[in-house]
Amino acid sequence: MTGPWPPTSRTVRDRGVIDFLQLTVAGLSAGSAYGLVAVGFVTIHSVTGIINLAQGEFAMVAAFVAIALLAAGLPLPIAALLAVLVVALGAAAVERVAIAPAAGSSVVAYIMLTLGVSITLKASALLIEGPQPSALPAFTPGILSFGGVLVRPQDLWILAATAVAALGLYGFLERTVTGKAFRACAEQPTAARLVGISPSRMSTLSFVLAGVVGAVAGVASSPVIQTDWNIGLFLGLKGFVAASLGGLASIPAAIAGGLLLGVVESLGAFYISSGLRDAIAFFVLIVVLVARPSGVFSTHAGVRAGVRAH
Amino acid sequence: MTRKATRLTVEGLFAGYGRIEVLHGLSLAVAAGELLAVVGANGAGKTTLLRVISGLLPARAGRVLLDGRAVTGIAAEKLASAGLTHVPENRLVFPGMSVADNLSLGAYSRRRGSGQAVEQDRRFVLDLFPRLAHRLAQPAGTLSGGEQQMLAIGRGLMARPKALLLDEPSLGLAPKLVSEIFAVLGSLRDQGDLATVVVEQNARAALRIADRAVVLDRGRVLLSGTPKALLTDPRVQAAYLGRGYTEVAP
Ligand SMILES: Nc1ncnc2c1ncn2[C@@H]1O[C@H](COP(=O)(O)OP(=O)(O)OP(=O)(O)O)[C@@H](O)[C@H]1O
Ligand SMILES: [Mg+2]
Repeated sequence: MTGPWPPTSRTVRDRGVIDFLQLTVAGLSAGSAYGLVAVGFVTIHSVTGIINLAQGEFAMVAAFVAIALLAAGLPLPIAALLAVLVVALGAAAVERVAIAPAAGSSVVAYIMLTLGVSITLKASALLIEGPQPSALPAFTPGILSFGGVLVRPQDLWILAATAVAALGLYGFLERTVTGKAFRACAEQPTAARLVGISPSRMSTLSFVLAGVVGAVAGVASSPVIQTDWNIGLFLGLKGFVAASLGGLASIPAAIAGGLLLGVVESLGAFYISSGLRDAIAFFVLIVVLVARPSGVFSTHAGVRAGVRAH
Repeated sequence: MTRKATRLTVEGLFAGYGRIEVLHGLSLAVAAGELLAVVGANGAGKTTLLRVISGLLPARAGRVLLDGRAVTGIAAEKLASAGLTHVPENRLVFPGMSVADNLSLGAYSRRRGSGQAVEQDRRFVLDLFPRLAHRLAQPAGTLSGGEQQMLAIGRGLMARPKALLLDEPSLGLAPKLVSEIFAVLGSLRDQGDLATVVVEQNARAALRIADRAVVLDRGRVLLSGTPKALLTDPRVQAAYLGRGYTEVAP
């Protein structure tokens, strides 16, 4: 794919509408990646009180793993699924190796640990992959046209992957015993321990879930946004902004926040200035911070106690 | 009179928070089928005692024995499956989850066991607290205080405990509800196998159903004996049963 996306259709009479729709679809596509990354922030924060600064790197690593597996000759669907699995396990390892041993630390110390993980993953990617970006091929090639509105099939793939991941997560949390235990641990950690739910296991699980959603975002969006060693910074930042819209506490709000941010970015970049694209997330963040500063950085003490208690 | 085996024993327990020591060598014992009331002023260390027994707070010295086995130092989440259930102060229901989910999470430690037995206990709990049966789908956070207390106790019973620790089950409840809940605790005790420890500010209500009681004062057992003996003890009357005392609870 070359040239800026979406191509703006200046020759069509009702180009205004078509531009708007194309920009909206592109925004929803980018926004669902933000939304998935945001969900990762929420799952970890709700159970551990930690803001995981390596969340964007989960997406970056998954994309690189998928690219490598594809290059090694595996079919794309297998490479994509394996990449998600690898990152899910990797996220569990991060929690066991970097987070769990620090039991008893302050939340700030935990956040610093995740920053260390983030830097390590970025540096490793730079070392292994070099500075140039690479990308997965689009899952299906070509361009679709809906009454003149051009849509990349990959945008639909991203939306579908997001829907599947979100519904899967919803089903897990609402319908399974372990999912309910996870929610119980987020809601009322002391009572959760008293019924036999291990906070340290739930902490590991929160990283696994964050790894899965982050990996899906990274793999599905790679054909569109290109993957480089630093892409996690942008995905992580925008995911964090999206998550903070819902106070870092609600999964549906995190996804809605991601979609909203993606669309606002896409429209803002076109109608106001393309230089604004990345600044928009910061504006939103500032507005959220001013409007509800406690909502963003509130960490419930009991939750931390739960992690600490190992 | 044949005494039943001691179910729960606390020996020389020391515990505290940071530099503050709250429990100074506290000992007590409860047999199967026995209900022990623990009364004492605010800050006496009643909640701390239960937190140490259930593993939420580490003991600095001393031992906790469950059926003769030392369980000191075992984390709360592991003790839950050993048959020790703690219904904590302020109920701590899972507010965003339904009554049904709260109950089924009560049986979390039995998730690998028989689903049939859990279902049986669920029916048993709903028979004990029929109000809950009508509200199974309601989020626990929207229940009234009394209903939340019933749910907290019911959730605790879903673990099928051998020893049940209750922290101020009467807190904030109307007198009628208090007697309702204490009647349930009495009937559970009468089934003969459960050892119950009830921490109460509402000393009168607790002493009415207890087999034995201890009075805690600044982290030590000040007095212990039958409710009758304690009720007539002038020290207890002065300190814990004075006029207006039962109205203290918010
Ligand atoms: N987390 C804590 N950190 C520091 N001190 C604490 C903590 N929890 C309790 N304490 C102190 O320990 C002492 C005993 O508290 P505890 O909660 O055990 O009393 P209690 O007998 O349950 O009182 P109440 O009847 O008011 O519930 C009090 O002086 C209290 O201030
Ligand atoms: Mg107390």
